[in-house]
Amino acid sequence: MNRRLFLGQSTALMSLMLGMQGTARAVELKSAEIIVVGAGYGGATTAKYVRLLSNNTARVTLIEPDPLFISCPLSNLVVGGTRTLQEISVSFDALRNTHGINMIKDFVKKIDPDKKTVTLGSGKTLRFDKLVLSPGISMMTDTIEGLAQANSMGATLQAWKAGPETLALREQLNAMQDGGVFAITIPEQPYRCPPGPYERACQVADYFKKNKPKSKVLIFDANQDVVSKGALFKKAWADLYPGMIEYRPSHSVMRVEGSTKTLKFDIQEDVRADVLNVLPPMRAGELIINAGLANSNKRWAQVDFLNFESTAAKDIHVIGDSAQNAAFMPKSAHMANQHAKVAAAAIVAELSGWEVNPSPVLTNTCYSFVDDKQVVHVASVHQYSAAEKTYKTVAGSGGVSTGPSDLEGTYAWGWARNIWADSLG
Amino acid sequence: MIDFRRTFVQLFVVVLIMSAGSFEAIAQGDDAKVLYQRALAATCANCHGTEGKGVENGGMPLIHQLSQTNMLAQLMAFKSGARSGTIMPQLAKGYTDEQLEVIARVLGQK
Repeated sequence: MNRRLFLGQSTALMSLMLGMQGTARAVELKSAEIIVVGAGYGGATTAKYVRLLSNNTARVTLIEPDPLFISCPLSNLVVGGTRTLQEISVSFDALRNTHGINMIKDFVKKIDPDKKTVTLGSGKTLRFDKLVLSPGISMMTDTIEGLAQANSMGATLQAWKAGPETLALREQLNAMQDGGVFAITIPEQPYRCPPGPYERACQVADYFKKNKPKSKVLIFDANQDVVSKGALFKKAWADLYPGMIEYRPSHSVMRVEGSTKTLKFDIQEDVRADVLNVLPPMRAGELIINAGLANSNKRWAQVDFLNFESTAAKDIHVIGDSAQNAAFMPKSAHMANQHAKVAAAAIVAELSGWEVNPSPVLTNTCYSFVDDKQVVHVASVHQYSAAEKTYKTVAGSGGVSTGPSDLEGTYAWGWARNIWADSLG
Repeated sequence: MIDFRRTFVQLFVVVLIMSAGSFEAIAQGDDAKVLYQRALAATCANCHGTEGKGVENGGMPLIHQLSQTNMLAQLMAFKSGARSGTIMPQLAKGYTDEQLEVIARVLGQK
């Protein structure tokens, strides 16, 4: 036997050994191009945790058009006028400077799943080995006749992505006469932040109670009942705002007349309001829709819950509000942050040639302010079921508050400061 | 003709490679396990800070100074109902005892 053969056999054996140690990988962790799109609760957390869980060996690019993170949770307090947008805004600096994430201020206009590229608004094309999409939700404005026109003339607002619309809604409430009517309409589930509309009603009522006590808050819900923390919200409305908040279930808005600020329903009488907050049905972010990844009811992206990889495209992961939920899994900031950690760990594992965690866990926590200080919560724990390939809430776990409290108000701010630090700090 | 000396050396090298390989497999297995454990403990980070280091004076109870033993005792007390609270009793009941042990081991002071 000559030396070449000897070395060849040894090398072959070594390759065999290495091959047996884990799953095959096309690219190494250190040299992989990992791109995350959207620096909200989901995307920012993914970018940070891929860095963290790879002990800062993986390189991560994060693409986000906005200059600043503005939190949707707590933005109802800005609508109510007790907090400012600045108080719920966080800089992206730590992601860049502390965690070494390559941040690009741009948007993605096209994804090519076959060539594994994303094209930015600037025209630049980037290649990826792993792509994580966290674009949040988009509004199905066209499903309500006249809504697009009413929106463009400012007669209706959504303010469901915190930012300029949040301030615009605040301004409309400020300008409204005492004795006026604020109406909010809620789409059928699933939509972003299930308790959000009911909390908003509380915040507007809190403002009216203190400043415009003859005014009314009308809630038109396409669902048959309050979809989150129902008993707690109804009790808060009755106790804190007697005669001010009217809740009307099973009301689906069919048409909006911007010129007269009128809501038209499928069955019930028309309603006119002074300030109109119309939340249309929602679906995954435009990016998901345009890339053909919305393979669940043409609205949401189906994913493998072990790694949040799209079932429609290999190496493209979809997390947060855009993902098709498991049962009892809300579209919330907390949940997006939790999706992110499972996806980040899975990406690090896959690129290291390891199996992904076979039993990931998710939690959800959501605090709602019923006035400017008192808060109620809902919480849940979701364990992965290998047999059913989905997350199941654990029997006997989770639940809601016994009632509103100042203590939970403190925790709600504690939650916000910590999740901002965990996602962006 | 078989060169016994050469075959012996080759076998020795192969055994070495295999040993190194299995050591590496164990090392990788350990690394993967550490990754899963860190990811599990990260489910707490939304409220209690990345790697257990919460925001000082942030309004949420800080946990990073708890010893591993004390942290596990608190988590088990929340789970059993021996300790009351707002959210923690509800969340602790969603984890297995083994998962709570891992969380206390990753986040608690050694």
